[in-house]
Amino acid sequence: MNRNFRVTETLLMNKLRRLARPISYIVTVGVLALSVHLPAVHAAVIGTEAVVSAQQAEFDRTRVQSLLGRAEIKQQLLAAGVDPSQVSERVDALNDNEVHQLAAKIDQLPAGGDALGVLVFVFIVLLITDILGFTDVFPFVKKPVRR
Amino acid sequence: MADTRAARAVAGGFLFFGLLAIAGCATPLQLERLAPDSFPDPIELNAVAFFPQEEYQCGPAALATALAWAGIDTTPSALAPEVYLPERQGSLQLEMLATARRHGAVPYVLRPALDDLLTEVKAGHPVVVLQNLALSWYPKWHYAVVVGFDLARDEVVLRSGLERRHLVPLAVFERTWRRGDYWAVVVMPPERLPRTAQETPYLQAVVGLERIEHWQEAGRAYRSALRRWPESLGAQLGLGNSRYALKDVTGAEQAYRAAVAAHPNSGIAFNNLAQALADQSRWDDAEAAVAKALALGGPHTDTFKATADEIRKKKNATADKRR
Repeated sequence: MNRNFRVTETLLMNKLRRLARPISYIVTVGVLALSVHLPAVHAAVIGTEAVVSAQQAEFDRTRVQSLLGRAEIKQQLLAAGVDPSQVSERVDALNDNEVHQLAAKIDQLPAGGDALGVLVFVFIVLLITDILGFTDVFPFVKKPVRR
Repeated sequence: MADTRAARAVAGGFLFFGLLAIAGCATPLQLERLAPDSFPDPIELNAVAFFPQEEYQCGPAALATALAWAGIDTTPSALAPEVYLPERQGSLQLEMLATARRHGAVPYVLRPALDDLLTEVKAGHPVVVLQNLALSWYPKWHYAVVVGFDLARDEVVLRSGLERRHLVPLAVFERTWRRGDYWAVVVMPPERLPRTAQETPYLQAVVGLERIEHWQEAGRAYRSALRRWPESLGAQLGLGNSRYALKDVTGAEQAYRAAVAAHPNSGIAFNNLAQALADQSRWDDAEAAVAKALALGGPHTDTFKATADEIRKKKNATADKRR
């Protein structure tokens, strides 16, 4: 029984030994192919996406700023005792991703950003109060640290 | 301190939802703000095909309608495995966009505005819309295709479900569409731009084609973009990149040259130009271009350096061979 097992074991080992050489060739060729291929991945034309996402950030920022720049909004802000330029500075300080979320919110406003609907006003008010740290509706707005 | 913060949050929450509730009831429909004679003539796109939908499969049916219009031969049952999720008995918007792209079309999501939707239909482009036919708290989601309207008769014409010409009063249509967050998409052949297209969102849509390596279609779409926005860096670069991917190195060079001429501050454009020149073994020109990219710097400097290294190596290798 035991001997039988040993015989099969040696047979198996022999088989493996015979296979070892071709396998090692395959692995070597594979590794070489990878290392030859690598520099080509690094130095290549840069995809259009890189440029377009930068463009997207610019596009988003303009949309948010143009909403804030509207006369009605400015008036409302002044009436609430908030300096509009300060708000616009805060928006500039948001990173691309945050501005993108903000702009996406503007797109969802019912007016699609044209006539100044009630929701647009609510949105702006909440945005301002978020920025000033009174509310916490938009997770992407940086809050001033309060101690 | 925690208490005041909690109180503030609660107050904020009340303010938010309270105002939202009022606003929800009070928000007027967009159709009330349409300029009176903005769309005086009835429009109907009779040539748009009709695929009666099988049970729940409005997504595949609507998408097949739009794709067939764009010149891509398909059927709802062929699309169903790609967009239809059996356990949800429906299709997701993102799947709809991805499937349109896989078939070589450019799906362009419209701004959530009635004006834009009507403008597209008037321009001859059928528009796929997402509707919630029931109520916000008991939704019945549905995709349909807007193929016409007659504002004088207060009608919108839809390819919808089992009806080839489903007529809906404009206000009813807008309410159901509003519950679908005004989601609307035109599925364009790459040669044709949506009438309401804006540069950056359109390029984003084309980049989606680039990502799945549909270079032919991407190239044609970038060309369309350049017809309307000749200075667009994204479109110039995209045209170059798609030609490069299709092994048209001289064509790529041309596009990159246009890009660096119009945007001398784009390091990426110079890097890609350098690459296209190096592929033609024009080492000195390539080195000059990559030097410009390196001088401009930016977040892709590492790639610029790699490009420069490779050009130098290849240049030396060919010089050695000559010797």
